[in-house]
Amino acid sequence: MLPIVAYTDKLSVAAGESLSVMASSFGAREYRADLRRIIQGDTNPEGPGYKDEPIDLDLGGARKAEAKRFHPGSCVIVPGRGMLSSLSDFTIAAVVYPTLLDGRDRTIMALPGFARIGIDAEGRFLAEAHGEWLQARRRARTGAWHLVSLSYSAKSGLLTLAVSHEDEAASDDVAPEVATAKAAGGECRAEEILIAAVRGSDGRPTGFFDGKIDRPALFAAEVPHDSLRRLLVDFAQLSRMANLLAAWDFSLKMTTQTICDVSPFRLDGRIHNAPARAMTGWQWRGQELDWKKRPDLYTAIHFHSTDLYDAEWEVDFTFALPAGLKSGVYAVRLVPDGDEDAAYYCVFALRPPRGQRSANTVAFLFPTCSYLAYANHRLGMDVPGTEIGMGRVVELDRHHLFLQANPEIGFSVYEVHDDESGVFHSSRLRPIVDLQPKVKSFLGGFGSNVWQFNADTHILGWLDSIGQDYDVITDEDLHAEGMRLLGAYNVLITGTHPEYHTRNMIEALQGFTDRGGRLMYLGGNGFYWVVSFNEDMPGIMECRRSEAGIRPWEPGHGQFYHAFTGEYGGLWRKNGRPPNRLCGVGMTSQGFDISEPYHLTAAAGDARVSFIFDGVSADTRIGAFGLAGGGAAGLEVDRADRSQGTPEHALVLASSTRHTDIYLMTPEDLLDPTPDWSGTQADIIRADLTFFETAGGGAVFSTGSIAWAGSMAWNGYDNEIARITTNVLKRFNDPERFELPELKDS
Amino acid sequence: MSRYKITRDDLEFAREFLDDPVGYHSPGLQRVLNRMRGPAWEFKYVLVAQQRHAIWLLAKLPKARGSQVEIVEDVIYTDLLDAERDIFRRRWRDLTGEELDLSLEGTP
Repeated sequence: MLPIVAYTDKLSVAAGESLSVMASSFGAREYRADLRRIIQGDTNPEGPGYKDEPIDLDLGGARKAEAKRFHPGSCVIVPGRGMLSSLSDFTIAAVVYPTLLDGRDRTIMALPGFARIGIDAEGRFLAEAHGEWLQARRRARTGAWHLVSLSYSAKSGLLTLAVSHEDEAASDDVAPEVATAKAAGGECRAEEILIAAVRGSDGRPTGFFDGKIDRPALFAAEVPHDSLRRLLVDFAQLSRMANLLAAWDFSLKMTTQTICDVSPFRLDGRIHNAPARAMTGWQWRGQELDWKKRPDLYTAIHFHSTDLYDAEWEVDFTFALPAGLKSGVYAVRLVPDGDEDAAYYCVFALRPPRGQRSANTVAFLFPTCSYLAYANHRLGMDVPGTEIGMGRVVELDRHHLFLQANPEIGFSVYEVHDDESGVFHSSRLRPIVDLQPKVKSFLGGFGSNVWQFNADTHILGWLDSIGQDYDVITDEDLHAEGMRLLGAYNVLITGTHPEYHTRNMIEALQGFTDRGGRLMYLGGNGFYWVVSFNEDMPGIMECRRSEAGIRPWEPGHGQFYHAFTGEYGGLWRKNGRPPNRLCGVGMTSQGFDISEPYHLTAAAGDARVSFIFDGVSADTRIGAFGLAGGGAAGLEVDRADRSQGTPEHALVLASSTRHTDIYLMTPEDLLDPTPDWSGTQADIIRADLTFFETAGGGAVFSTGSIAWAGSMAWNGYDNEIARITTNVLKRFNDPERFELPELKDS
Repeated sequence: MSRYKITRDDLEFAREFLDDPVGYHSPGLQRVLNRMRGPAWEFKYVLVAQQRHAIWLLAKLPKARGSQVEIVEDVIYTDLLDAERDIFRRRWRDLTGEELDLSLEGTP
């Protein structure tokens, strides 16, 4: 497997800035680090060969490889701020919606060392305080709301656990189940309140709850359960109750990590490990679907024992990127115990210096959002049907075995949590073991079988092979700086599968082409999903797969709007920014077995595009070879479609004309699922090689195929696909304006 | 869960697969493969790359996340298409209770 894994504190850094490396041993005793520029990461012997470049920089000698571990699990932590020590009579209460009961003890709310409510290993609600332990008779149900309370009265000496099963139909006359015990009482030494967890013996949160929690509250009095059912519905009323010590309205400051107490004591807290906010609460009945309009209905947080935001490993070392080091894709290489074959690569982008105009006119957009979306993905392991989509057996590389053995590393947005709810978040503050050169994947097609970053190195290798100087900028840079960053370049080149974009990014890219920029979209299924960053949580990304798109899960009814920004999640196509408008083509189908050539159309002879085919033989078939399935058109393919925004004057220069029946229609296009929407039958399933000029003097060239770059790399980058791509780059890098053609009336 | 039951009537598709394991398949063969490669975990064979692009071990994937991938002893492939054929034969046996024997094509 992997004897050492690591991550850096940033994926984008400029020369002169520092980068920290956090590493952990998974068997290694020691390691040495060096810096490499990554040029071509695919190790397929049919390909151009692995290539990197050592950078002369001393990163220190041998270091001991310390074992560090992952600590997933989300919760809320509220410092007591001295307000808990006087507790005598008390009530703690919350409305809960369990989603996983699997034989583990789980905590709903705890004042560690004083009182706790939760669900025990048998699935029954439990409470403990003053050395007494109470258990409800009925088991908790997954997918149902329950109000749980624990109260104590010193006068009666009675500790009371009460649970009401809040089934909608009977919500007015629910009879709570009550369990009581005599207790002597005692001093409260708790210094904090935890929601969805308790403190473990090692001081870390543990005993995580999987499910939703709504309206947790703490009272300095015994409050009858029936009163709680009435009080908790109305925060305004509740906040005026004299005995209220804290009540947390999770709908406040929804886009941050802050948890707000509505009581006058303001016992605010913070979330830990990024649970899902903006989730439908106890009172949601479908009245509204947008949390921004009725936040009072979105008062729940969905916690998972598998959430992970920041691995928080101690820094092993920090170094400065040398001034003058050219922009590119680099990796800190960690070689464990002298075994270069077992080296771990912490890949990052060295962006151009900030605040000054780069000398380069070509930039590669390093698609960190798409890398994050797929970070540590487990499609071939968790989803048994992946093999059908691959059309061949699943191949596990060593990093897959590591993922299988260490699911605590956190998931990609292709997985579901252990409770089978979708993973909304992916973070870069943890090792991303598939963001490395050399690694193989599941979806890369018969041949090299590389995906995302390693597939993108086919493009980096091509740039190297033609001697093209270029900058590397990341999605995060583009999100933050937009056209201020893009304005320096004539040409922007994408990766093979730039699928995930924030609104800032989409708008910057559109602004770039509108203002004369030239976009080379060398991939497939690009600009597809909406994602969001969070200003309060650097390094994490949200994706809610609403409504349509090829997706492994749905966010749940009423939960289609992102918590980070309030944006409607799902496809850019459904959000007024169809990829066809930006780049002429949009996702139409996928299959991960074999790829096909393109066949030139009559439009390829148009004088507007003669530069593209300069020096290419007269054969009407191009790209009948490649490392990604044996053809240039495949894996995920896009079609031109005027109804989806493809410009009127766009030219479809070539198309694939058939695919295997692994290739099926996307859900957003398959409105009526009849059995003729497959690769051997439906003309709509094709990759369209597309070109168009923009009004600002710019132009767009789109391959509409992930497999394109695998063909560029064929025969040492000496082939017609590489030639075509180079032709486009040369002309696109020429500042001479492109002129819009005169459109004929149809 | 798949309801398709693989029988000797599918031997013609087995022959087709053994001739050309990856790429275009007839609808009949695709249906057989969908059964073999679908959601059932009992015969979820995978390859473990011992040396990328050169040597693969046969393994079975466990259903439970975090469980150990189970290596099948003494099975090593040096060609991916050979691996596909062998896994097809194993699944044929798992699903029909019979060894794959193309000479039985046409027999009841």
